[in-house]
Parts: sequence; C-alpha cells; structure tokens
Amino acid sequence: MEKQSKSYFIHLAHQLRFDLGDKEAQDITDEFNILIDQMDLLNKIDTQGVEPMVYPFEEPTSFMREDVVNHVLSALEALKNAPSSKNGFFVTKKVVL
Amino acid sequence: MKYEVVIGIEIHCELKTKSKMFSGAPVVYGAQPNTCVNEIDLGHPGTLPSLNKEAVVKAIQACMALHCEIDPLVRFDRKNYYYADLPKGFQITQQFHPIGTHGYLDIETSDGLQRIRINRLHMEEDTAKQYHVEEESWIDFNRAGTPLIEIVTEADIRSAKQAMAFVDKLRNILVYLDVTDGKMEEGSLRCDINISLRPENTDAYGTKTEIKNINSISNIEKAVASEITRQSALLEAGEEVQQATRRYDDVAKDTIMMRLKEGSVDYKYFPEPNIPPIQLAQSWIDQIKVDLPELPDARAQRYSSLGLNEYDIKQLVQNKALSDFFDILIIGVKNIKLAANWSCGEILGALSQKQLEQKSYALKISELRAMINALSDQIISSKQAKEIFPYLLKGESYDHVVTSLDVSQVSDESILKQLVEEVLNENSQSIIDYHAGKDRALGFLVGQLMKKSKGQANPALSSALLKTELDHRKP
Amino acid sequence: MSYQSIMKNISIHDRVFEALKKAHDVQPKLNAMVSFIDPTSQLEALKPKDNTLPLYGIPVVLKDLVNMKDTITTGSSKILANYVSPYDATIVKKLKEAGAIIIGKASCDTFGMGGTNKTAATGPVYNPYDLSRMSGGSSGGSAVLVASGVVPMAIGTDTGDSVRKPAAYSGIVGIKPTYGRISRYGIIPYASSLDHVGFFTNNVLDAALTLEILAGRDDLDMTSSQRPVEKYTEACVGNVSGQRFGIISNVTDAIQNKQTMRQFDDLCQKLKDQGAIITKIHLNDDLMKAMLPTYYVIANAEATANHSNLDSLRFGVQVEGKDNEAIMMASRTEGFGPLLRKRFVIGSYALFTENQEIIFRKAQKVRRLIVEDVQKALSSVDCLIAPASGNGAPLIEDSQIDLLSSEYLVAENYMAFGNFSGYPSMTVPFGFDGILPLGVNLTCRPFEEGRMLNLAQGIEDLTGLKDLICEVKP
Ligand SMILES: [Mg+2]
Ligand SMILES: [Zn+2]
Repeated sequence: MEKQSKSYFIHLAHQLRFDLGDKEAQDITDEFNILIDQMDLLNKIDTQGVEPMVYPFEEPTSFMREDVVNHVLSALEALKNAPSSKNGFFVTKKVVL
Repeated sequence: MKYEVVIGIEIHCELKTKSKMFSGAPVVYGAQPNTCVNEIDLGHPGTLPSLNKEAVVKAIQACMALHCEIDPLVRFDRKNYYYADLPKGFQITQQFHPIGTHGYLDIETSDGLQRIRINRLHMEEDTAKQYHVEEESWIDFNRAGTPLIEIVTEADIRSAKQAMAFVDKLRNILVYLDVTDGKMEEGSLRCDINISLRPENTDAYGTKTEIKNINSISNIEKAVASEITRQSALLEAGEEVQQATRRYDDVAKDTIMMRLKEGSVDYKYFPEPNIPPIQLAQSWIDQIKVDLPELPDARAQRYSSLGLNEYDIKQLVQNKALSDFFDILIIGVKNIKLAANWSCGEILGALSQKQLEQKSYALKISELRAMINALSDQIISSKQAKEIFPYLLKGESYDHVVTSLDVSQVSDESILKQLVEEVLNENSQSIIDYHAGKDRALGFLVGQLMKKSKGQANPALSSALLKTELDHRKP
Repeated sequence: MSYQSIMKNISIHDRVFEALKKAHDVQPKLNAMVSFIDPTSQLEALKPKDNTLPLYGIPVVLKDLVNMKDTITTGSSKILANYVSPYDATIVKKLKEAGAIIIGKASCDTFGMGGTNKTAATGPVYNPYDLSRMSGGSSGGSAVLVASGVVPMAIGTDTGDSVRKPAAYSGIVGIKPTYGRISRYGIIPYASSLDHVGFFTNNVLDAALTLEILAGRDDLDMTSSQRPVEKYTEACVGNVSGQRFGIISNVTDAIQNKQTMRQFDDLCQKLKDQGAIITKIHLNDDLMKAMLPTYYVIANAEATANHSNLDSLRFGVQVEGKDNEAIMMASRTEGFGPLLRKRFVIGSYALFTENQEIIFRKAQKVRRLIVEDVQKALSSVDCLIAPASGNGAPLIEDSQIDLLSSEYLVAENYMAFGNFSGYPSMTVPFGFDGILPLGVNLTCRPFEEGRMLNLAQGIEDLTGLKDLICEVKP
C-alpha cells in the first residue's frame, strides 16, 4: 500500500458519488497513513495458502426459495418515500449517460 | 486485403419465473409501473436477497441444452456501479463462479455445420426500466430483480448469417425449455454483439465495436452485415475502427454510435456476503436432466420419423407454440400430413401467436381432430371442411356443426349405389358417350348424382361407384 | 428494570405509557431517543391476545437501524432523516407476536459505524452514570435506555462490539448470539458478514428469554441458521462447576487499569471457588494486533457497497441538482457525515481490483487465521473470558487515543473476534471503575448460547450485579 494524494481521494469520492471538502480530504489522507501503518500489522502475518474467509460459517446451505409470489407493495407504498414521482413512476432529472 | 470477421455474442435472457430472482414480488410484463415490486426490488435499507429455486432450475436447463459443465456449488458476487436503474448500487451476479462453463451450440448455415463455443452462462438480476421524458427520467422498477441468465460465446462466429443463426437457434432452444418467452421485441432476450475484423490468416484481434438494442432476429443479420461493411470500408480506407457501443437503426439500416468505450470500469466485484454458497445435490441436478423437455432438434427428428417433409418440419419446429398445438392434434389423428397442413395453414392463419402461446382460443383441438379425421375418411370434402372450420374456431363441436349445417357427406355405399342406379337409368345417352371415350360424360354423371343427393354425396366414392357400374353396363 | 419488575404493573397500558413518559423525561439528559412511536395501535392489537405471551405488554426500544412498518427509521443518519419503513424487520414481527410494545427508536452511530455514539445525526448519547461520559456505541441509545430503567429490553446490533461494549459501559447485559441465530432481515446493515442482531437486558435470565423469542430460522435471511432454538431459560441455572474458563491473557496483559484487573481477578477466584476450571489462554499476539485493521478493512469495504442504495431516488433526503448525477452527488455529500465519507472512501479503495488481493482479501485471510486461533482455544476451554474494556466509559470529549498502542489495539478491540468467527458472545457487569460500571465478556463455541447464558448466570450470581438501574433525574 502506498501513500496517496488528497486529489486522489477526491477523485475516488466522486466515483462513489459524493464530494469531499478540502479539510476532509486532508483528514482522509492522514487516516489513510494510519491505515498504511496498521496494514503493516496485517502484512506481518503469513497468509500463504490461506483462503479468504467471506462468511463466518462456510458449510454450504441447500435452501432455495420456492417460486411463489408472496409479497408485493402497492404502488402507493412503493412510491411513498420517493422525493419525486409522476404517474406511478419514480422521477429524477435527466440521467446523463 | 481480405478480412476475417470475428464475432462474439453476449445474450441476456429473462427467465420465465413467477417471482423475482431474490424476492417474492411478481414478474409481469407490461403491468402498471411500480406495481410488481417490494422493498427488496427497490433496494430499501435492511433488505436481503432470497434466491429463487426455479430460476436456478431454468439456468441449469439452459446449461444442459448448451452442453455446459455445471458448477453444483452456486455462488454469487456483487458488481458495484451507480446508475439510476440499479436500486442497490450493485447487481448480484456470478462473476467468479458462473453456474455453466465450456458449452457449445452447433449451428447450420449455408457455410455448413459450425460449433460455437459457450464461454460461460451465469445468473444475475435485471435492472429497472427508464424512460427519458424531456428533461426528466421516469423509472419503473417492475423489471428490477427479474431473473436473468447471461450467455457469453467465444469469438467463434464468422459472419452475419452465422450470428443470426446462432441467436435464432439459441432462442428457439430456450423457448422449448420454457426458460424464457424469448421475445426480443419486449426485451426478454437481448443480445450484445461484439464485432471486429482482422486480416485473413492473422491471430491478433482487431478493434471491436459492440452492437446493442437489436429488437428482432432478422435485424441481427442486417445489423451485423452493415457493421461489417462499415468496418471494412474504414479499414480499406486505412482508417481506424473506434472502440464503441453502437445500436442498429431500423430506418437508417445502419449502426449508429451510442458512446465511445473509455477505459474499462472497475466494478470492484466481491463475493456477495448475504448469500452463502448453495450446494446443489447431484441427484437433483440429474432429475432436471431427466425432466428436460424435448428440444427442437429432437422434435424435428421425431417429425421426420412421422413422415413429415422437411418444409413442414421446419415450419412447425420453428414455432414452438404451433408445434405444441400440432402435437396435441395428432394424438389419434388418422392423417398426420393433413394435420400438419391444417396446423401450418388454417390454424396459423386463424390464431394469433399470442393465442397459440397462451392457449387462449375457443377452438377445441379434439373437434378439429374429428373434422380432420372425417376429411381424411372423405366423409366430408375439403370445401365442406372450410365451411365447418369457422364454427369450430368459435368453440362449437364438430358433430353439432355438421348437423346444423346439414353438410355431412353420404358415404354409405348402399345409398350411393341406389343413386347411381337412378342417375344411369335417367341418362342413357351419357352411358353411350362415356364408352365412346367422352371424358366429360363422367363429370356430368357425378354432377347429376351430387344434385340428387343435395350435395351430400361423397364425390370421390360416387365417382368410383359410377365407373364400376358404367363398366357393367358396357354395351 | 427487569421483566419481572415491570410486570408488577398489572395494566399493560400503564406499563407502556410510564415507559414512554420516562423516555421523554430522560431525553434532555441522555439524548438516547431518535423517534417515539405512538403505541395505541399496538396496544389495540394486543387486546384479543393471550396475556401469557412472554413479552405481553412489555415496552421495548429498537435501535434506529431496525425497520418497522410505518415508522421513521433514520439509521441515525441525515440521508434517511425522512425515511418511513414500508415493512417490518423479521425481529419486529417476532417481538409483536410475543406481545412486546415498541415505543421508539434509539440513537446509534450513523448506520452503526462507530464505537462512541458520537456520530449519530442527533448528537452524542450520554452515559447515565456520568453525563459527561459516552454511552459507547454503536448501540448507545439502546444501552442507556435499559441502564436508566426506561425499558427492560432494547434491540441493538453488533458488528465489532457494538452491543457488548456499550453494555459494559452501562452496567447491563449485552448479548450477540451466533451469526445466523437471529435474522438480519430488515436491519439496516453495516457490514453483512460481521453484522449481528443483539440486545440489552438488566439481567441474564431476561436475556435468555429474549433470545428464545428472537432466535430462529428466517427464509428471508439466507444466512440464518436452520438449527432448532433451545430453551435458553432452562439452560440458565448458573452452574459453573467443572466448566472451563479461558482467560485471554493478551487482553489482561494489555489492560493498564489496576482497579479493573483486581476485580477481574476476584471474579476468577470466585469462579474457581465454585468449581470452575480457570486457565490462561494466550492467543497469537500478531493476530490480536491485526484485529482492528482487519476489521476496519472488511467492515468498510462491505459497508461501501451496502450503502450504495442511498442515492435519494426512491427514498431518503434529496438535494437539488441540475441532473440525476448532480442530485445523487449532492444528496450523498449532504447526507453522509465526514466519518462515513472517510470510511466509504477507504472501503472502496480496498475493493479496487488492483488493491483487492493486498488489502481486502488479505484482511479476509487474516480473518480466517484469527478465527482458527479462537476455534483452537475453544477446543480446550468452554468459554473465553476477559474484561470487555480496560476502563469505564470514556469522556465524550476524550479523543486522545494512541491508535497503535496494544492497549487500544488489543484490550479495546479484541471483541471483534466474535464477529469474525460468528461465535456467541456477551457482556455482563462485574464491577466498577470508580462510579463507572465494568463488564466482563464471554465468548463460546457456535450455537452454545445455552452454555454461555448459564455461565453468565453463574457470574451474575457471584457478583450480585443484576437489575442495576441508574436513575436519571429529569
Ligand atoms: Mg456482460
Ligand atoms: Zn449481465
């Protein structure tokens, strides 16, 4: 892991669809340096041949849901939280491709 | 310079399930917007995915038909990107462990038989539908979460014709499996076609373009052909092909640039923590194989063994709904060729594709079968059959129509012989003319007989009986 | 307040409205509630029901991450400040079926992402034992509402130690059962592979009863377990004789506070006197020190993706913009605090293809080694035990922590191994640091909640520290 610049993190934030203030970007840069140090604690550990652990318990399940319709919201409920809606649709300003 | 065309296809196919891939909301095409969703499909905070078993069954069926190796440990991953039609901000897909790999599909074109290898087949969920209305985007989440399989071929396709043949055959197979309704115009089958050209006998791939949004099988050939023409013109002129996504415009009859491909996006795939690996029992997979519906090739073979000609076979097999109709019709039918003629003729003319698919017609197949059998036995004439048929379409029974129309033929030989006697006795001149070799005499006599029977005499039988009797009366 | 004491109040109406009144009364001091729920319709729905239901008419509080139909669920965030849940979390259904009355949502660190409760959109939650001190987090509001006697039970969630740490700081019982034991359906996530539903009670027996109600398979949560639920109340007899306790010496070695250690040693002696077998277990030091960064990487990577749904299009507070992209950008910038933005940026960094192997997957590999180490330890003892924290609750303004000291890395963060492994883990009070309560943490083998509750009962019997209520005068 290498150090990264403030502008790098601002760019990264934009990919995550939010903005960073200048001070905040600086904070992240500083915290990132701490993480780099902490990652050293991790890198000390030999993980050769160790599989990543994704789930706390790894025995596979066999359960799959039956293909039945059991729960649908009314359009009213579906749109209830929508900041903007029209004619049953969620509405946003133009999506730029 | 001569160029070789290199084509690979990715197909997204909506599965014909009752409920969504990861939720119990209904899958319905053409419903009112946002009426087929629940909190899971809308990506509400706190929701979790619950996998639909039938979607897995359908994916496995597709794998089997495409000769894929099946991974019995089903695993899902997240594909992360932000877009208005993607409610969770990630799509649940199978990036690292697709359920099917290493398959193939053999296609036949005028280039001969060709094997198209399938790189992978994986399960994922569909996105919402957006409509761009002036300065706004309207979003309907009914489609969000619909189960999909994505099928990716190797770059084995070499012409527009092959591309079309591949999709056509694949589509028909999937329809036969009842995995999908396969409607390109409704978007339940969508293909992205990657096309590039390279100098013949070279290995390196040229720059490719991707064509999206093709809405019919026939447009595949047109779209690919025009893109090949466009690319070769560029290369011939010493220009470069730009890596881009294009779409086929039906009116312009050409592909049109949608967007340039910039550096590839990092989707930050990682294993979906909310879906543990699912172990499929081998016995369960085996049972799916046993229960696999008849596929188009097998059906064609069966029709061939029934004695149908190649034209009929092709017409029937191409249209599963019609072919299914035909299969019911021929249970107990006396003349299969006649049944095929009626299926591909009158039935196809009278019933819409939708009616056939949904079996939403009043016609009772058993009554049609009765009529075809009567026709085959020459109890009725084909002219009469055409009179009867519209009533059968309305759901009436054959017997009822025949009685009420008073159209049934007289085939009883003793009655017909009686009539023959009468007609000959009344037309002695015609007997002489007949033996003098005047062909028209027989026709005249048959006509007289039909008249006497009020049109109900079986014409073929009557004519035969007349001939026999005429020979008896040779002067 | 225990279930037993609240049931003395015969009228369920009075039980509930007294709790609501208390909640309102202590709000200016504790700042623990985010929203109140009018209980009228729930009381109405309870009328035809059997009054022997286990939680009949018991007022409870949900952490503000738990969805309940037609109530506000903000996750203590700004971006969901106006979010009205269209559905019930599975545990909400279970609570209602058991007769509980939900009276409100308790403050937490935004989306559970913190250990102080200082990041809640509604501000910090104050510790009833000392109002200048923190509740701990992330389930801080839930903890102090139980500690101050407002409700006898509150739901929390635990991703690193978010139930067990605030329970320790509040002098109450905090439990996080095995991963998959309680359904997560309907709980706003932090990190899916580490998140556990947990809860707070004033005594161990109430915890056992509550677990019986909340545990069980839920088809809506594919990670939930198919195992049958035990009668935890029957297991909970407090018999520690012959039970093997393993003291985690990495933790006790790192703790500097002598008062804490003296009382902990006392407790161990008493357990021994009861016939318990006490041994020291030394977990791998390097793994223990790697716990926090491992946690940090995995939790934030999963969280970044989990909160990508917050685009303000279908729900949430929307901020104006010239097009959809701008709206989304403005809404997320406004709606996430600086701490969240920081964690999302770092979490996302760990997921980039070029970083995944060296950061995210590296952390997942270390996670496995940590779990294997804990598993090995639990093959020789029945339970791992250590103080949940070296000290009582820190001051709210206190942020002078050496992020690389082993006191911090080990003593204050080791409980995350219960989240890595999914093993059941709980905290019960065992003493005081001055006026501040201290908690001891127990961790057992998977699905051995019955055993764990029995041992916790044994500790509670020995310390006598049960039904501690710290009244807060309005
Ligand atoms: Mg693709
Ligand atoms: Zn796809």
